[in-house]
Amino acid sequence: MGVTVLLPYQIPEGKTGAQAIDYLTKRLLALGAIHTGQFLVDCETYISTPQHGPAKTVHVLHDSEYPASTFSILDNGAGKQIPLVADNLFDLLMLKMTTVYTSKKQTKIESKGARFEYGDFLIKLGSVTMQENFKGILIEIEYRPCVVLSFCWEMIRETLQGFLGMPIAKEYPAYFSQQIMNPMGQQQIHPKQNDLYEPIDTINQYLECFTNYRKQNVLPVASSVGVGAGAGGVAVTTQNATAGMQGGNQRMRM
Amino acid sequence: MEKLNSTLGAVRSLRSSVRQCFEHLADGTNAELGEDSRTKFLLKFQENFSNMNAQLREVESLINGLQAPQTPYCLGQTTYLAQETAPERQALYSQLVNSYKWIDKVHDHSFLAFNNLNQNNLRRSYTYCSQKRVRIPFASCNNTDPDHTDKLLSEINLPLTSYQVCRPFGSNVVVIVTISRVLKAAIVCKGVLIEWVTVKGFDETLDPDDLWTESRYEVFRKVQEHTHIAMLHFFSPTLPDLAIKSYMTWLNSYSKLFLEACKRCGKFVSNGLPPTWRDLRTLEPFHEECRNC
Repeated sequence: MGVTVLLPYQIPEGKTGAQAIDYLTKRLLALGAIHTGQFLVDCETYISTPQHGPAKTVHVLHDSEYPASTFSILDNGAGKQIPLVADNLFDLLMLKMTTVYTSKKQTKIESKGARFEYGDFLIKLGSVTMQENFKGILIEIEYRPCVVLSFCWEMIRETLQGFLGMPIAKEYPAYFSQQIMNPMGQQQIHPKQNDLYEPIDTINQYLECFTNYRKQNVLPVASSVGVGAGAGGVAVTTQNATAGMQGGNQRMRM
Repeated sequence: MEKLNSTLGAVRSLRSSVRQCFEHLADGTNAELGEDSRTKFLLKFQENFSNMNAQLREVESLINGLQAPQTPYCLGQTTYLAQETAPERQALYSQLVNSYKWIDKVHDHSFLAFNNLNQNNLRRSYTYCSQKRVRIPFASCNNTDPDHTDKLLSEINLPLTSYQVCRPFGSNVVVIVTISRVLKAAIVCKGVLIEWVTVKGFDETLDPDDLWTESRYEVFRKVQEHTHIAMLHFFSPTLPDLAIKSYMTWLNSYSKLFLEACKRCGKFVSNGLPPTWRDLRTLEPFHEECRNC
């Protein structure tokens, strides 16, 4: 387990999602990366029923990199998030709690695609889909030997620039310098880049990105979203993207 | 120690003069030579006897001058021989002493040879080698007492690094070094000589009972190879303390393993690896393939 950075990829104009994935795959293989199977990260959101006080949301996520765990993040609606990492049985528990938490099926979102290894790097090219609709591309890059982002950010940045072929900002990604609420109730910037990295950090990054993609669904005109290292959101119309995604699926099956 | 030596010497000479005296007595006189040789024999015996007496007195006075040692001598591993119960193995002690003497001699000879050869190597200039120069105190490096090793390791104090000393194999030390939040290394020593180094990631377990499994990360397997190169480079049986100190300083330069770009190509990543080599003198980072070009 090492430091992971999640980056929404801006699809170049005039290309479909599948073409972009194809292009990135070719570049990665040319760099010397080895294709090592598929991956899947999914997220389902449950909302508490109104008779149980103010609305709370529970996001339940699965990551194929941690197949024995179910991650859940409870959002109390007041900006406080409580993470919980449990066994897979947690899914069955959620099914039993339908009287308290109901699932919002239409917001089930997932990112899946190919997984590559390059030295100790682990690179995943994920296409994000919500209800079979293609939403964009998420690139996950993990440097496994290192547990502190500030130590290896330059290495990750250089590798990213190497296969994306575009400059990446020198600053740490937004997730690592986020604002947190301290015990006194004040907002302060927590320099997360010096902390030991934990799997839940990856999950938090996915949730952040997924939430942004869901918001785009509400506003069909996608605009630049300041996520990750400032690479911006993905401006693709839904129809176009769906067609592109189907093409992508066919290619992946090959 | 010197007193003990002179006493032992006195005992030895006493024994030889007693032996002489008895030999003389056993030879006896020749009965055919008559009175003259008999008095000669008697005089000789008296002389021998007074010699013996004088030497006996000397031995006694020397023994009185001896003090009981305050602390028991450090016998190292040989103390465990006292716990040996099988009778046929109890004879090991004398063999051990013999081999100890033999090794001691080998050390002396090799040290002299080392000095001689050092003067006569293929140098173009004549180096003046004064006999007055203080000879480096010779320390045996693979059989030191544990306190010395402990003291030596406690003197090493480098930033961002923590040391944990354990002895899973009797008196020999295994040092678990944790450098920043980057890597862990187990250094297996024999005396103060480094015998093996295992390098692992910060999030991997490094157990003193399992020192031989390699890291699951390519970068640390490469670093381990390099630590072995450095281990041979810094090997110096004549100055073992300095060797271990310089080795630790070199190893500490890995605290910036992921943070520094290669000095030659200026890049961080090459073939999926950071600059894993550190120059032995300047501690500058290089990629393995940039190192020799």
